[in-house]
Amino acid sequence: MTSVKHAFRRSSAISVLFDGPAFPFIMILPALLMLGFVIGLPMLEAVRLSFDSIALRRPAAAGTYGVHNYLRLVADPKAYAALGFSALYMVGTVIGSVGMALTAALLTRRVIWFSGLARVAFLLPWTVPAVVTALIWGVMYDGNFGVINRLLDFVPFIDGQNWLIERQTALPALIVAQVWNEFPVAYIFFLAGLKAIPDELYEAARIDRANAFQQFRHITLPHLRFIIAVIVILLMIMGFKSFPIIFILTGGGPAGATETLTVLTYNAAFRSLDFSYAATLGILAVLASAMLVLGYLRLLPRTGHGDVM
Amino acid sequence: MILGRAAPFTPLLIITLRTIAIVALAMVALFPLYWMLVIALTPTGLGRQVMTFFPTTPTLENFVTLFADRPMARWIWNSILVATLASAISLAFGTTCGYALSRLRFRGANLLLIAVLTTQMMPATSIIVPLYMLFRAWGLLDTMQGMVVGHISLVVPLAIWMSKGFFDSIPTDLESAARIDGCTHAGAFFHVALPLAVPGLAAIFIYGFVTSWHDFLFSRTLVTSQELWTAANGIASFRGEYFTLQELQMAASLVFAIPVVVVFFVMQRWIVSGALSGSIR
Repeated sequence: MTSVKHAFRRSSAISVLFDGPAFPFIMILPALLMLGFVIGLPMLEAVRLSFDSIALRRPAAAGTYGVHNYLRLVADPKAYAALGFSALYMVGTVIGSVGMALTAALLTRRVIWFSGLARVAFLLPWTVPAVVTALIWGVMYDGNFGVINRLLDFVPFIDGQNWLIERQTALPALIVAQVWNEFPVAYIFFLAGLKAIPDELYEAARIDRANAFQQFRHITLPHLRFIIAVIVILLMIMGFKSFPIIFILTGGGPAGATETLTVLTYNAAFRSLDFSYAATLGILAVLASAMLVLGYLRLLPRTGHGDVM
Repeated sequence: MILGRAAPFTPLLIITLRTIAIVALAMVALFPLYWMLVIALTPTGLGRQVMTFFPTTPTLENFVTLFADRPMARWIWNSILVATLASAISLAFGTTCGYALSRLRFRGANLLLIAVLTTQMMPATSIIVPLYMLFRAWGLLDTMQGMVVGHISLVVPLAIWMSKGFFDSIPTDLESAARIDGCTHAGAFFHVALPLAVPGLAAIFIYGFVTSWHDFLFSRTLVTSQELWTAANGIASFRGEYFTLQELQMAASLVFAIPVVVVFFVMQRWIVSGALSGSIR
C-alpha cells in the first residue's frame, strides 16, 4: 500500500527529505547554521575567554586557564555596583515608562477628534534611534545654556544643574532619556489592552454609582494586570540591554556613577583591554537576561486570558 | 474612568481638562524632536546662545557642512549597504525556520524558541567581546563583511521570531489542500505559504533594516577606519568631536532619524501590530 502511494509521489528519497520526519530539520538547518556561526560560536568563545587570561596589560599570562576570572567577579565591588546601577536603571525606566504610557493610554483611549494626532505624538519618540536620543538629550541637558536649565528658570525653587556631570543627577537624567525613547512600546500595549475591556462593565459601574477612581481600581486595573506584567518584563529587558544612551552621554561616569553591567562589560574590554574579564561579565549578563526571558515566556500565554477572567 | 463616546453627558469641564492633559503630555513627547529641529537650523556655533524657543535666523548651513566637510554621505551609504545585506541574508536564513516553528511539530522546538528569544534579548555587549576576538583572529576586523556578519547576529533571531509570528497568522487551509492534492510539505511551503507571506516578509525585511540602521555598538567596535563607519557611529562621534557645536550634532541626528520616521509612517499599522505580537527592536 505504501509503495503504491510512493510511486505516485516523486522518488522516496526526496519524499523523506521534503515530506517526512526529516523535513522540519531541513527547514531549520539554514537558520541553525547561521545562528551557530554568528551567535553560538561567539558564545563558546566567550566561555573559553572567561577561563583564559587574555588582557593587554598581562600578555604573558595568556593561555593560563582557570576560574580566576570568576573568582575576581565574585569579589569585584565594581561588578556589584554595576548590577546595582543596572537594577536602578531598570526600576527607574519601568516606573517612568509604565506611568507615562498608562497616563497617555487612559487619556487617548476614546476616539476624540485629534486623538489620531495625539497617538502619533506618543508613538513618534519610539522611531528615534537610540544614538539620536542620546545626542538630543545631551544637547538639552547642557549645563550652561541647555534648554532644560532655561525652562527650569521659569520654575521657582528648582535650580539648573550640570545634569550629566553631577553624581546625583546623572543616572536619573539617563533614565528620563530612556523613558522618552521607550515608553511608546508600553503605550501600544496599554492602548490595545484598554480596547479589550467591554464598555458594559463601565456602564454597569456607573449605574452602581462607582466614581472614576473606583472604576479604574476595580475594572481597568484588574483587566490590565497581565499586560502590565508582560510590559514590565519587556521594559526590564530593554533597560538591562540599554547601551548607546548611557555610553554616549556619560560613558559610565561621572566616576563610575552610571556604569551599568553593559557599560562595564564594554569598558572592561575596550578601555581596560581585559578581554577575559569582559567575557566573564558578558556571560553574567546573558544568564541574567535568560532569567528575564523565562519570566516573559511564563507570562506571555496568560495575556490572552487576561481579559476573560 | 473618564468616558467620551460612551457617556454622552460627560461634563464640558472634564473634556477640557482631559484635552489640556493630552496636549501637555504630547508636548513633552514632541519637545525633544522640536528642539533638535530648532538647533539644527541655528547658525553654526550659536546653538548655546539661543535665547528664544524658536529659530530666529533659520539656516541650512549645518546640513551643507555635514555633507561637504564630513563623510556623512559615505556613512549613510555604508549604513544602507550593511543594513540591506544583513537584513536580506537574515531573512533568507530565518524564514524557513520561522515556518518550521509555526507549522511543524518536532523535538526541541520549544528549546529553539527560547534560545532564539534569549539571543534576541541578551545585551549586545555580551556578544561583542568574543566576536571582536574571533574577528581579530580571522582578519575580519575593520571590514564591511565583518560588520555585515555582526549585524546578522542582531537580525537573524528577529527574522526567525517574527516570521514565525507571521506564519502563525496565515490560515493553514490552503497548505492542507495542496497536501491533499499530493504536494510535498516542501512544495506546500514554497508554492503556497511563501507567496502568501510576501507582504509579511517585506515588513520583516524593513524591520531588520531599521534594527541594523539603529545599531551603534557593532559599528563602533568592529570597524576603526572612518570611511567604513556606519551613520550611527559617525553621528555619535560628533558628540566627542564637536561637543560645543550642537548645531552639527542636531543636523546630523535629523538626517539620520528622518528615514526611520518616514518608514514608521508608511508602515504604522503593521509596526504597531508587530510590537503587540511580542517582537521588540
